[in-house]
Amino acid sequence: MYEMKEKIIALIEELLKVPAGTITEDTQIEDVEQWDSLAHVMIIGELEGRLGVSIPLEEAIELTGVRELLEKAGV
Amino acid sequence: MKIALLSNVNMNFVIRELQETLSVYEAEGYGNELGILMNPASSYHAFGPEITFLVEDLMELLEHELEPESAKDKVEGWFANLEGCIKADVIYYVSDAYLWGTELEVVHDSGRKEALERIWQERLEHCVSSHANMRIFPYRHLIEEIGENQAFSSKMWYMGRILLSGEAQKSLCDCIRQRVELEMRVPKKVLLLDLDNTLWGGLAGEADHTPIKLSEEHGGLAYKNLQRVILQMQRQGVLLGIVSKNNEEDVWEILSDHPHMVLRPEHFAAKRINWDAKHENIAKIAKELNLGLDSFVFFDDNPAERALVKELLPQVEVPVFPEKPEELATAMAEIYRLFFEKAVLTDEDMVKTKQYAANVERAKLQNASGSFETYLEQLRITMRRVEPSSQVERLTQLVNKTNQFNLTTRRYTQTQLQQMLLDESRRIYLYQVEDRFGDNGVVAVIIVNLGESVPMVEEFAMSCRVMGKNIEYAILDDVEQDLLAAGFDRLRGSYLPTAKNKPVEGLYRQLGYRRIEELPEGGVVYEIEIAQAPKRVYYVEKE
Repeated sequence: MYEMKEKIIALIEELLKVPAGTITEDTQIEDVEQWDSLAHVMIIGELEGRLGVSIPLEEAIELTGVRELLEKAGV
Repeated sequence: MKIALLSNVNMNFVIRELQETLSVYEAEGYGNELGILMNPASSYHAFGPEITFLVEDLMELLEHELEPESAKDKVEGWFANLEGCIKADVIYYVSDAYLWGTELEVVHDSGRKEALERIWQERLEHCVSSHANMRIFPYRHLIEEIGENQAFSSKMWYMGRILLSGEAQKSLCDCIRQRVELEMRVPKKVLLLDLDNTLWGGLAGEADHTPIKLSEEHGGLAYKNLQRVILQMQRQGVLLGIVSKNNEEDVWEILSDHPHMVLRPEHFAAKRINWDAKHENIAKIAKELNLGLDSFVFFDDNPAERALVKELLPQVEVPVFPEKPEELATAMAEIYRLFFEKAVLTDEDMVKTKQYAANVERAKLQNASGSFETYLEQLRITMRRVEPSSQVERLTQLVNKTNQFNLTTRRYTQTQLQQMLLDESRRIYLYQVEDRFGDNGVVAVIIVNLGESVPMVEEFAMSCRVMGKNIEYAILDDVEQDLLAAGFDRLRGSYLPTAKNKPVEGLYRQLGYRRIEELPEGGVVYEIEIAQAPKRVYYVEKE
């Protein structure tokens, strides 16, 4: 599952338009300026649409960090 | 260029993306698109977009009410509100409809989706045809290309009312950027075509050894399909020309008689089939059609010919030629989009190609008839005044698109011109010109301001298609006589120089007007006592 983790992080970086390496497992959403609620919706939607990673709706809204996101995604 | 994207669903991520390259209005939320337009104090109006895109989700707009009768009311209400607040100096793109919602899958009546989309489409088309600044935004095509499973995202919809997937949002951005580009650029006018291995496979004139490839199958069909694309372009106002190195007889045989030719001699406005250098032929065609070299696109399979034209005539656009025949038709469609597509097609565009072909016949007559006077006489030119209020679109086009024969180069929007038509102190004269080779259409306009102490020609523009035949003499005579009959004994006109209107610098002088005032930046005001006007030589009959 290591590879999937990298793919997810790369997708997040692409959508936020931040340089590769900006986002790590330890990143907290509130610390990233570009990661606002709009970007968050796009990230959750594209994870499902492009990588087939589905995070349940209610849980997706309450996510606070990347580690938690990866856990909910089951990777 | 400032634009706005308004919608009844969340498009903020698309707006964020567009802002990378464009100045885009930042809507507060979404779903209040008509409210924003209607409120003169809204931040939208403060921002002042020049193009406004309205991309609507029909299902939301119908509030999931799928009965056609109530749908009609809602659609009518939406458009009535929109039409109530459109401004003449803004261009509006309104999306066509793609109805999407899971309940459609259980609607028993299989035609319902199309019927509801049809209601939107018909109202949209009506709206576009009654407002010159309204256009259709091809949203439906965008969804169909991606497929609805990929284009819509339930997850994002539930989380934040974002309807479109990342992929669909990307296409939407591309499509919007393309339209903005389209509104800003000046389209090309003429497509110049080589023949051998371009319009058909193989070489003309070698039929005994190898017949040319043009048929209903294999490579031959690829060339035929290319011709079909070109014919459609021609019908939409693109002028076609042949620039090829061949024996003319060999070519004529194919052009007129080959059963699979889609393009026939009458589709070409100019032909140069000889062994001269192509850049020389192109320069001659430019002269013959009275167009600048920057109006031309040259399509030829031979890289050496392309390189030569590119180098010697850098203003001519020379696109790359596809490597395989099966790519020809799509490559041509791309050329159309890149260089020729216009935001709107007028009726004038649709017939223009014929008029240019007739112009070539006219030029041939000039060569044959010897003296210029004989030539003009043989042309049998007639002109007639047409009612400007019935031709507002053409009037707007003439005023705004004419550069060479334009004495003052003042530009007016369609709305301003409409107001002038109602203004008692203005007289607008619009002329249609015909000759033995065909109808040139509405080609000249004069606007006279009667509100001054002496009537003043504020605008005098004529299409370059009819320049050089002394038609302007007949037109000004007509205007002067009309004013004289109305009790005015003098008329004034001015020349305001621009980079392009040098050809008419001396016009008023030639017509017997005298210089009465110098304006800053080289402008001159002229005046004439109408009754004292000299006899002007022209061969134009007034109907």
